[in-house]
Amino acid sequence: MPDNFLSVEGASVSFGKGDARVRALQNVSLAFERGTLSLVMGPSGSGKTTLLSMLGCLLSPDEGTVFVDGAAVNQLTEPEKTAIRQKKISFVFQAFRLFHSMNALDNVAIGFEIREPGEARRMEMARDLLLQFGLGDKLQQEPKELSPGEKQRVAIARALAGNPPILLADEPTASLDAEAGRNICEILRKQADEHGRTVVVVSHDPRWRKFAHRTVILRDGQVQRMVTKS
Amino acid sequence: MKLAWQNIIHDRSRFSVTVLGVCFAVFLMIFQGSLLAGFLRAASRLIDASDSDIWITARGVQAFEFGTTLESRVREMAAGVPGVVETGRVCMAFAVYRTPNGTQQVVALVGADPNIGSRFPVPNMLESAGETSPDAVLYDVSDRKQMQVSSLPAEVEINRHRASIEREIEGYGAFLGVPFLFTSYRNAAHFMGFRSEDAMYILLRVGNGYPVADVQQNLRQRLPEIDVLTQSEFAHKSRMYWTMKTGAGGAILTAAVLAFLIGLVVVSQTIYANTMENIEEYATLKALGASQTFVARIVLSQALICGVLGSILGLIAAIPSVGYAKSLIPWIYSPWWLPAVMVVPSLVMCALASIASVRSALTVEPGRVFRA
Repeated sequence: MPDNFLSVEGASVSFGKGDARVRALQNVSLAFERGTLSLVMGPSGSGKTTLLSMLGCLLSPDEGTVFVDGAAVNQLTEPEKTAIRQKKISFVFQAFRLFHSMNALDNVAIGFEIREPGEARRMEMARDLLLQFGLGDKLQQEPKELSPGEKQRVAIARALAGNPPILLADEPTASLDAEAGRNICEILRKQADEHGRTVVVVSHDPRWRKFAHRTVILRDGQVQRMVTKS
Repeated sequence: MKLAWQNIIHDRSRFSVTVLGVCFAVFLMIFQGSLLAGFLRAASRLIDASDSDIWITARGVQAFEFGTTLESRVREMAAGVPGVVETGRVCMAFAVYRTPNGTQQVVALVGADPNIGSRFPVPNMLESAGETSPDAVLYDVSDRKQMQVSSLPAEVEINRHRASIEREIEGYGAFLGVPFLFTSYRNAAHFMGFRSEDAMYILLRVGNGYPVADVQQNLRQRLPEIDVLTQSEFAHKSRMYWTMKTGAGGAILTAAVLAFLIGLVVVSQTIYANTMENIEEYATLKALGASQTFVARIVLSQALICGVLGSILGLIAAIPSVGYAKSLIPWIYSPWWLPAVMVVPSLVMCALASIASVRSALTVEPGRVFRA
């Protein structure tokens, strides 16, 4: 019985109007359990990113319901959705989305500034996170001075600031070489296993299969197949 | 707010342009403000220098510089009104001044009775009575060049009458581009060809226990064909004439407003360009859960940082510049509070300039963060 910690029920999303209307998702129902890493795969245009946007409260379905921590979020106002993202959801992006003018430490600290505005120790906490990810010697480096793998680790550290229970990753290894990609896979898997986070990864990258507890295959906006590891 | 600071200093050339834009606007606003303040002060300076409660002028006189003669009976009638304890006379007319070396110069000759106020520059007022003769002529130190007096006392001619220039004073420099000369009422009337009993302005002092408004009302009833104004009313009228009716104040104000608008455009352009360049970062912030207030604060902070730094530079540039300008424009005046007060419109300017940028940052779709 799903606890609606993170789930969609009968969700449909369309873009455009008239003849240009595209149905990105059609009647999709999925539940993501706590402490698991779910991999969502599928060809381009299958609705992976639309699904991730919905789960991250960035997009409301035309039909159906999205639940985050038991609350039906598509009935909430924008400030309420923002508050949910602030407390419960974080993102890792293919393009890293680091703040280009800030060094690694400040990039992570701003995550704390957003999620724990009253926290006076945010610089120390940001430093601790970066140390955990082996970036102790890169604290003062700006994004342009970091390798892609290092950038993604900084982005994950920022995503983990404030300890959000849900982590949504969009093609997190697409821009990385084999070793850096494997490192990111391990880090995100560890977040599910050791920290009990619900991690949803959208990716074309087959390397993820062995790190995922469950793989969902989308095609033409529908769930084509689900594979759950025993 | 580190992001706000980092974002603006990351592009140093744009940051410099923004700060210089604000600096220029603040400089110009302070300079124009000093011109306006000085102009207003100079426009009523002689009226303010008297200690009188009431000024009587010919009907329709707009400013001190445009007085005309009053009949001698006016003074006598005014003196008979209950509450009036003292009367004095002031006159002013343009005259031809001939320098010791024979050059001619138009001057504004002001004559006053000694009892109209210790700040009014007349030779026989109490403070300087021992130093100058009762019929001495005084001029402002800023007009020394035009007076062409090499040493004091100096014998000159005013309207073909011999006169003795005996002293330099300060704070009463040329306002109309024509130097002021000050002398006793009797002397001025002689130079101007007035009858000694005539007056141009009659100044009244009201005794204790008599409300000035009541005395003024009484005078208006008895002297309906002339203007009876309190000192502050005449000063205000004079200031309004010079600033509004001549358009001079409007021109100065327009320049100040233009400075504000130039600053507004410069700051809004650069802050907007900066915001649009970093629009993906604002989308990221929103995706990460940053509130609208948080996002707006970053953009606004950028504008205000530029505003504060530009204002500081503007103040640093304006204060000595106004000081230097005093040697060229003697009446320019910067009250101590003016530079501080001008920081407020500059910050308002920066806040206004950030409106379009704040809107862009607030309306950006956080979902765009998924586009690679």
